[in-house]
Amino acid sequence: MIPMEIDFILNGRAVTGKVSGNLLLADYLREHLDLKGAKIGCSRGACGSCTVLVNNIPIAACSYFAFQLDGKSVLTIEGLERDTTLHDLQQAFIEHAAFQCGYCTSGMILVLKAMLDHEPNPSRDTVVEWISSNICRCTGYAQIIAAAEAIIAMRANTGPTEAVS
Amino acid sequence: MSGAMRIVGVGLPRKDALEKVTGRVRYTADVDLPGMLHAKTLRSSRAHALIRSIDVTAAANAPGVRAVLTSKDVPSHYMAVYGYNIKDQPLVATDRVRYMGDIICAIAADTEEQAAAALALVSVAYDDLPVVATMEAALAADAPELFPEAPFGVVPGYGEGASAVMRPRKNVCYQFNYTTGPSSAFDVCDFVYEDVFRFSRMHHYHLEPFVTVASAREGRIEVWASNQNPFPLRKELARIFKVSESSVTVHVGTLGAGFGSKNNCKTEPVAVMLSLMTKRPVRFCLTMEENALTNTQHAAILKLKTGVMKDGILVARQSEILLDSGAYSDASPLVAEKAGYRIPGPYRWKHIDTACLCVMTNTAPAGPFRGFGGTQASWASESQLDMIARRLGLDPYDMRVKNMISLGEPFVPGESGMDSDLKEGLDLVCAEIGYHDKVKKPFFGKGISIGFKDGGGIKKAAQARVRILTNGDAIVNCSSVEMGQGIRTAMTQVVGEILQLPIERISAPAINTDHSPFCEGTNASSGVAVTGRAVAQAARDARQKVLDFAAMQLQCDASELSLENGVIVQGTGPNAQRHPMGPMVMGFYGGPGFEFTAEGFFMAPVDHRAPLESPCVFWEMGWGAAEVEVDIETGQVKVHKLVTSGDTGRSINPLVCKGQEDGAAVMGYGQAMFERMIYNDAGELLNIDPLIYRVPLAEDVPSHFVTITQQQGHGPGPFGAKGAGEATILPVASAIANAIEDAVGVRITELPITPERVLEALARKAKAELRS
Repeated sequence: MIPMEIDFILNGRAVTGKVSGNLLLADYLREHLDLKGAKIGCSRGACGSCTVLVNNIPIAACSYFAFQLDGKSVLTIEGLERDTTLHDLQQAFIEHAAFQCGYCTSGMILVLKAMLDHEPNPSRDTVVEWISSNICRCTGYAQIIAAAEAIIAMRANTGPTEAVS
Repeated sequence: MSGAMRIVGVGLPRKDALEKVTGRVRYTADVDLPGMLHAKTLRSSRAHALIRSIDVTAAANAPGVRAVLTSKDVPSHYMAVYGYNIKDQPLVATDRVRYMGDIICAIAADTEEQAAAALALVSVAYDDLPVVATMEAALAADAPELFPEAPFGVVPGYGEGASAVMRPRKNVCYQFNYTTGPSSAFDVCDFVYEDVFRFSRMHHYHLEPFVTVASAREGRIEVWASNQNPFPLRKELARIFKVSESSVTVHVGTLGAGFGSKNNCKTEPVAVMLSLMTKRPVRFCLTMEENALTNTQHAAILKLKTGVMKDGILVARQSEILLDSGAYSDASPLVAEKAGYRIPGPYRWKHIDTACLCVMTNTAPAGPFRGFGGTQASWASESQLDMIARRLGLDPYDMRVKNMISLGEPFVPGESGMDSDLKEGLDLVCAEIGYHDKVKKPFFGKGISIGFKDGGGIKKAAQARVRILTNGDAIVNCSSVEMGQGIRTAMTQVVGEILQLPIERISAPAINTDHSPFCEGTNASSGVAVTGRAVAQAARDARQKVLDFAAMQLQCDASELSLENGVIVQGTGPNAQRHPMGPMVMGFYGGPGFEFTAEGFFMAPVDHRAPLESPCVFWEMGWGAAEVEVDIETGQVKVHKLVTSGDTGRSINPLVCKGQEDGAAVMGYGQAMFERMIYNDAGELLNIDPLIYRVPLAEDVPSHFVTITQQQGHGPGPFGAKGAGEATILPVASAIANAIEDAVGVRITELPITPERVLEALARKAKAELRS
């Protein structure tokens, strides 16, 4: 297959890449760009372990072609930290132990990041609706929801922190 | 311990927090060795067939292919079958396949895509055999025998009243029996009730697949495995490939969960064999569909005959449990032991008689699953107890309280005493759903349940090593596998409390069987209660070595000294003198410093009077309560409130414990309401696709979902801890079924509780009422 050249923004930096037409985004990130934070769970777009944000919308990287990135912006978990400062969602996940095995965690954090960018002050039901795109087999979701609610409450008091996009 | 620094009992950030929230954590699935090949396997498309021929000629010549493995490539001196106490699963299928998913052929190629493409060129000719897809079919008189020849196996030793036999009848690989008290106890009962319950089977659905990277050459095997039990795996690989056990190295880092499945051999033998054939490292990673074909929970049919007095006093229980073990025995004999042993529940009996049979079917092999037979047993036992209470006109709460064993009372003769106050737990969950409120809304109902299992494993042994470094930093070496449950965090907290050292200064490195202390395995909720005791002992002894050394340097008695954050404190109060360890250690040992190292050991006790020859380490109790509303038009059950509770004895890290209890409860909720593997009569798994197989999502969790972590303080582990992580899966399904009967007077005896089953039960009830 003839490789195609694509231009896109990867975690805030302009990048040019060569990808074959059948290369999946998950494999492109993990095998070609060594960004292994997106995990392969089901390879069917069902579990959400491979979630990344494309133009700030959560997508399953296992069910998306790398060439589709052309002209778009992709954020992976590796791009969420600013320098060495954790994003407040990452901090909240730590404080609330909102993960166990950690395989779903990159995806869950990115889904919540997109949610907060779209709906800065969501209800609990909205949180539940957004994270229901992804499966966590370990936590029963309560501590993930608690982490999200803590961020929402904190931001309501202090105003939104810088959003990485 | 009463140090100034509180470490145990605090919800500290987990040790793996930073690497997990940043995506930097690496799992076995991420291991990438230079020159590594990729394996894929051809799996049987038939549920039961003889293999007439396999043609791999085209596949062997396909691009990128480095090795093609079928049974004829396995050297005859290998013992190429595996399993727990029965070795019946071949490395690759030999003369026959026993389920859709049996591995027939494996290919190692430069890429996974090339391996998959080559597999498409393999042709297999089958001679179909009759399929037994269900336990009823397997036990039928004219059923075909899945194993015409008896596989190698052993029956472990049992204590008072317990026994087992292999192959007691056709298509049953193992039967466990337990009896205590005279069967004449049934004769004095006012009533004897017989009820049958059915339990569906779930897929573990761990997100990190079964995966192994193997690097092997003649006489030397090294594997990176996503496996809960590195040491038994080492032993098994040495046995299969005929190498010395010391020539096998198993590396285990962080697991993307397991829920019981990642035990014994799964992907390891094929990866090792292909690596031996190619002399290259081989990665063998399954898809989610293949995970479901590799190991599952046990479906079950549980027949209970229970004798009671009219005042609700339990007298005698006879039970027969059939476990659908699938095509290979895997851990089924051990699950049978536990399901059979736990079926009486935490109550007093004059007579117990149990038989639990592992029935072989042409479906995926069943094995260990969170709850380990206890989930099946609690579903049936707690459902029937409730039914009997209602038949006798008693409150199910009163009936439980009347019969439950007290704190300290042995479950059966020779067993450990109960180490939770059962009523205390029951009252907590009852209060949370308002169980005793008298107002009853139409179509609303409340149900309760007490889940029950022994925890900590049988004759389980673990060693640990704690090393205190020059400046007081510490390393804890132990082989409890971190699979999400937070065990590495818990271990550092135990060590931190004893050494009075912040956990930031303590590391708990990944496991390497060449260096790490022996541990039988990470299962049976044994991490804290078994391995944790070895860790605590090692920490105390290492601390003592530091204090003895310091006493020698300071020319005082060690009893005058304490250790705090790497500082030797001499005396107490404002006049205490503080000596940092570093200068003192280097002053004696020189610039490179030193390590004060101690070993710890714990083994679950062995006692022939205990039925399983090992009085249980701790009791893992799970209380549950539910409030439901039943729509009698549609059969839909809405669970308004779900409350579960476990007793950790003492939570080493309360946040981690809560997460375990939440997760187990939601897993139980999925099983109760919708989650199941669906097989047809041809032995085909119909909902294998992850898009169709349904596990609980956040939106499925009841809006009023509460877990209450009790810390009753009676645990045998460090600081009074017990194990955790399985308790709250146990009571959920029965609490919901009990609530449904309370709501609309019908009893659901089969999981999951689908609207169809509720409607059928309502229709049966309406018909019966019409007749009377």
